[in-house]
Amino acid sequence: MRSPPIPEMATQEVQLNETLAHLKTESDTLKTKLEEERAKLHDVELHQVAEKVEALGQFVMKTRRTLKGHGNKVLCMDWCKDKRRIVSSSQDGKVIVWDAFTTNKEHAVTMPCTWVMACAYAPSGCAVACGGLDNKCSVYPLSLDKNENLAAKKKSVAMHTNYLSACCFTNSDMQILTSSGDGTCALWDVESGQLLQSFHGHAADVLCLDLAPSETANTFVSGGCDKKANVWDMRSGQCIQSFETHESDINSVRYYPSGDAFASGSDDATCRLYDLRADREVAIYSKESIIFGVSSVDFSLSGRLLFGGYNDYTINVWDVLKGTRVSILFGHENRVSTLRVSPDGTAFCTGSWDHTLRIWA
Amino acid sequence: MCSGSNSIIQAQKLVDQLQIEAGMERFKISLTAADLVQYCQEHRRSDPLLTGISASSNPFKDKKTCVLL
Repeated sequence: MRSPPIPEMATQEVQLNETLAHLKTESDTLKTKLEEERAKLHDVELHQVAEKVEALGQFVMKTRRTLKGHGNKVLCMDWCKDKRRIVSSSQDGKVIVWDAFTTNKEHAVTMPCTWVMACAYAPSGCAVACGGLDNKCSVYPLSLDKNENLAAKKKSVAMHTNYLSACCFTNSDMQILTSSGDGTCALWDVESGQLLQSFHGHAADVLCLDLAPSETANTFVSGGCDKKANVWDMRSGQCIQSFETHESDINSVRYYPSGDAFASGSDDATCRLYDLRADREVAIYSKESIIFGVSSVDFSLSGRLLFGGYNDYTINVWDVLKGTRVSILFGHENRVSTLRVSPDGTAFCTGSWDHTLRIWA
Repeated sequence: MCSGSNSIIQAQKLVDQLQIEAGMERFKISLTAADLVQYCQEHRRSDPLLTGISASSNPFKDKKTCVLL
């Protein structure tokens, strides 16, 4: 004799499946609606609006300084607000502070881990933050005394459950924003190490982030291995916009100087521009001949030029408005892994797997 | 039943997120792109990498300097 199914469990399961199916239909409908809304605004291309803008002339940019000293791949760098100091971090576990004018090393710290994937200069210029395979972000106050052991004053601020991929101070030395291989971003109080806000939404490792330029904006953008770029409200932790047009990992994101758009660089060998008010991608910077991934991107001061560091050892310079490449720069002997324009826009710095950093102008 | 209710929580979160995104006010590209272009134009003269500033004003470019012996 067969035992009948327990009635309660059967009804519960049916209800569950019905609810799930209903929610799935709702989300599919919303996704379609989003696509339709975005498509309605696609009345023209950026390069068409920019037709009347003067074309750019020839660019002569060369390596003006080479910073040598790391023993292994350079993974990250950041400029100090004083426009001359630079902090860089490497696979060799070292974090070095350089005077880019003279190429002198001013400070060096040895981290307890290798692959220091992230580093950032504090707005005051008095500290640097860094982290990587240790899953943490630590802050080191910079001492005027060159003999002082910086590691002694180290402060552990952030704790993730996987590698630290990027870090950035907010408008002051008091807060740090981090992104991690654990799929989240987080905002931390430096003094107490307290987690102030966490940002969940990426479906895989988050590789990069950038803070919106305006002091009042309170948003940041992140990019990840899920091919998505998400814009977040720092206060609520909410994801307010999401873009999924890249075909591979997004390695770098950077806001356009006005804060109304951001650029991204991806393993799919393209850079893209996303307009935040139109809520869509408005330009793709690519060429058939460019087949290697982009590791890092940054804008010139006016936003007209986009610099991209590539895994084929080159830097491609793009006309943001017209969508064309204006220059290709050679010099590094291995992948370009990091790229930032200086705070006053007079130069940009690249770091590479060839163990060096170069200043270009 | 634990995994079942988790799926529902996930699905509901997705719906909530999509509703937030769908409710956003958007503008036509013809308008927003015009603003991007305008920003570039307004700031082009103060963009050293764009205009190319002389060696005397760029600390990274080599100048012909006197050497103090």
